[in-house]
Amino acid sequence: MTASRVGFEWAPLIGSTLGTIPFPLPADLVSPTGGMTPLATSAAGALGLMVTAVVLLRTERRGWLALIPFIVLVSLGLAIANAPFAAAGGGPIAAALVAATLARDRRDPLHAECALKLLWVIGPALALSWAGLLLLTLTTGTPVPVEQWAVLALGLDPRFLWITALPLALLAGLVLLGGAPFHFLVSDILQGVRPWLAASAVVALQVSGATWLSQRLEGVIGFPEGRELVRSLLGFGAFAALGTGAVTLLVQRRPERRVGTLASLNGGLVLVVLATGRTPAPVDLAAWGAHLALALAGAATVARFLPTFTGQAPGAPLFRRHPWTGIAGLYALASLAGVPGTPGALLWLASARSLAAGGRTALLLVLAAAWLATLTAAMRQWRQAFGVSTTATYAGMSGEQAALVAEAQSTTRVPVEARLALWISALGLVALGAARLWWR
Amino acid sequence: MTEIGVRRLRGPGPALSGALACAAGFALLGWPSLFAAALGLELFGAGFWTWARAAEDRREQLPRWAWLRRPALALWLAAGLDAIGGEHGLGALAPLSTPVGALARVGAIAVLWGALELMASLPLARPASVRPGPLSAAGPWLPVMLPGAGFILLWRHADHWTRVPEVRAAAVVLLLVSAALASLRAFSRREWTSSLRWLVITDCVLAGALLALRAVPEDTALLLWMGACGGHALLLAGELSGAKARRGEQPRRLWQVAVWISLASLSLPNIATLGSGGPASARPLLALTAAAAAAFASHVSVRQMVPAPERRTIPRKESAVPLAQVGVLGVLVAGPLALLFAWWGGFEPRAVDALASLIPAVIGGWTAGLVANPLSPRQTAWVAVIGKASRYVALVLFHGLLALEAALRRMLRRIALAVGAPARDLHTGDAQEYLLFLAGVAVLAVVLPLLR
Repeated sequence: MTASRVGFEWAPLIGSTLGTIPFPLPADLVSPTGGMTPLATSAAGALGLMVTAVVLLRTERRGWLALIPFIVLVSLGLAIANAPFAAAGGGPIAAALVAATLARDRRDPLHAECALKLLWVIGPALALSWAGLLLLTLTTGTPVPVEQWAVLALGLDPRFLWITALPLALLAGLVLLGGAPFHFLVSDILQGVRPWLAASAVVALQVSGATWLSQRLEGVIGFPEGRELVRSLLGFGAFAALGTGAVTLLVQRRPERRVGTLASLNGGLVLVVLATGRTPAPVDLAAWGAHLALALAGAATVARFLPTFTGQAPGAPLFRRHPWTGIAGLYALASLAGVPGTPGALLWLASARSLAAGGRTALLLVLAAAWLATLTAAMRQWRQAFGVSTTATYAGMSGEQAALVAEAQSTTRVPVEARLALWISALGLVALGAARLWWR
Repeated sequence: MTEIGVRRLRGPGPALSGALACAAGFALLGWPSLFAAALGLELFGAGFWTWARAAEDRREQLPRWAWLRRPALALWLAAGLDAIGGEHGLGALAPLSTPVGALARVGAIAVLWGALELMASLPLARPASVRPGPLSAAGPWLPVMLPGAGFILLWRHADHWTRVPEVRAAAVVLLLVSAALASLRAFSRREWTSSLRWLVITDCVLAGALLALRAVPEDTALLLWMGACGGHALLLAGELSGAKARRGEQPRRLWQVAVWISLASLSLPNIATLGSGGPASARPLLALTAAAAAAFASHVSVRQMVPAPERRTIPRKESAVPLAQVGVLGVLVAGPLALLFAWWGGFEPRAVDALASLIPAVIGGWTAGLVANPLSPRQTAWVAVIGKASRYVALVLFHGLLALEAALRRMLRRIALAVGAPARDLHTGDAQEYLLFLAGVAVLAVVLPLLR
């Protein structure tokens, strides 16, 4: 596949431009139909996330000690990029890597707490899921999901065995994806973990969860009874994830936790597709993962500079000193929230359309309610970020007070690494959205 | 002290930014797309927020106008459902039992919700639109934009909500009840500017009811609305710039006649359709409600426009053709012209019904004249007593209903808090609770399929 195959009617123009490149693009990155392959999409998202994480790592001032975190980031990046094609076993490895990295720094109590919570939840969840998988293998005599459905469709095995084993096998995916009531876990990681690791850890876990569920349910559409069970179970899970996430989002006050709940709701979008009884295609999974990676990289970074809501206050220093950078960060947050005009909105719309096509009206309305909650949260965040006018604030103060406040605020530093990270994620999202629109 | 962020953005000041946002919002509301309408309302909210955050009394203004995001949210919902339904056959109305039919109805409710809230006609959220706005120069006039935006929304997206019969029927009831309440409130207020803001709401909801009733073509309803609402909006603008409309006997008389005619024109199709529009659309009780609204609104419009005393020694030089007088001519002809178009478009009530439909407006105007120029001392006393009593009754009725709604709102809030309290206690943040969650979900996952 050469570069001249990219595009449709634009092919001659693009071909003449890219034809000057002395080497052809790899076949893995450009699909025969002219779009980006799933691998290219997920790799782009992972690369953007990794670059922002590495940039943020510079704020730690670790010197050569940064080598190990760098290796961790590269490993997580590879896990995210390869997620649409990886075996379901990638989830436990990613979770173990994140937990080990968090537990490494003994002096950081927040990291230790997050590691503990991860181990408390993901360890038993994986154990239960493996028990379910083994039970299914025992019942059907094969570990391959597609073959298992074919065997179960014969109706020779006891029904209660597989209807008990199947939900247990899906449990780890639900936990990793961060669906309610495990959305607190995502928020905890984003609030407690250092900026360079938080987003990468959450995205790696969520993408692993989506992969776990997709691969576990591959081909279930050919087994009607199993498909109905999956529809009802994951429909219930999606209902809880979206409904609880929406309500939680409206009462949360800390920006990091809001971003965590938004990430959890994005996990709910995968559950929504699965609740229609079909598994997402690799290209859809890759697009979802790439968007999550880029949007969360920006949103998690900007959340550190947003004020915790305490009423009317002047805008945060980032938004007074570098308003355009702040807007770039808020764009990532808006995309995570599915605000129209952002790439995230396309994902929300695609999920809603799959529900409409699947005839799941009640779940569609819950999804709509969750979307409204995310829009509300995003708009609140915009307004709180810029706050009330500082001119009006200073008007009510004496000259001395105003001078003191202005001096304190002017010395509040916004690290250049953080600003760079915000711009990388925003530009990455714009590129992702443009690519999706271009090749739609 | 300069504002660093604003300086770096190099944008216009808050007054101009807010004005630009609101102007863009109005322009988008007129665009035939639900997404554009949602964006328009979002810009409206942003405009008011921009003004409020820079206002001196921002502590009151910011929470006062926070509700403006709710109509925008309703429109986003409608736009989203429309985007989904566009590919799934939402073109024709399907039965409620089907997913497509349910989505169409929710979309229609969302459009109506947004418009009603803007027009201060949504139960439980009524008086939001009439408080002075956050821009010091034009604050008292700003709220006029909101019911106007609500009507434009109803008019532009009429095909989205009028095709659902249940939504249309609910809209007629809500709009006419709101018209009666708004006119009662206008009647009970002593200040002319406050009354004018409520009269604008009366105009908008009466015009919205016309759309819901499908009494006249949509464009005719727009013209009727422009006449009535435009007249009151111009009067309010005039009040804020020296009460020009009330200076001089002839201009005042002309304005009185113009707003009376425009109100009578607006109420005629409403009352005629509800009173004698055939078995499908005739609803006598609602006709009486519309008649009451029309009578009170015409009474207030004519009565409250008292001559403004000239205190200046040297009167200000006016242009040869004052803009206010150009406006009054437009208001004067808009109503009758719209009725002519309506007749041309198929609105043909019997002559007796048309005349009967004019009676409320005539009564309103006649009583206003009686109050303004009593014929005898006895009549003066009689008018004073009746006027005071009726004003008091209007006040009690309006505030009674608002108190009832406030009590209902409080009760709903308490129920929500009571229901939500256990959920809040569920999460303590301890590591152990995650294990409990997992155990709970695992048990649920095993038990649920067995119960199916």
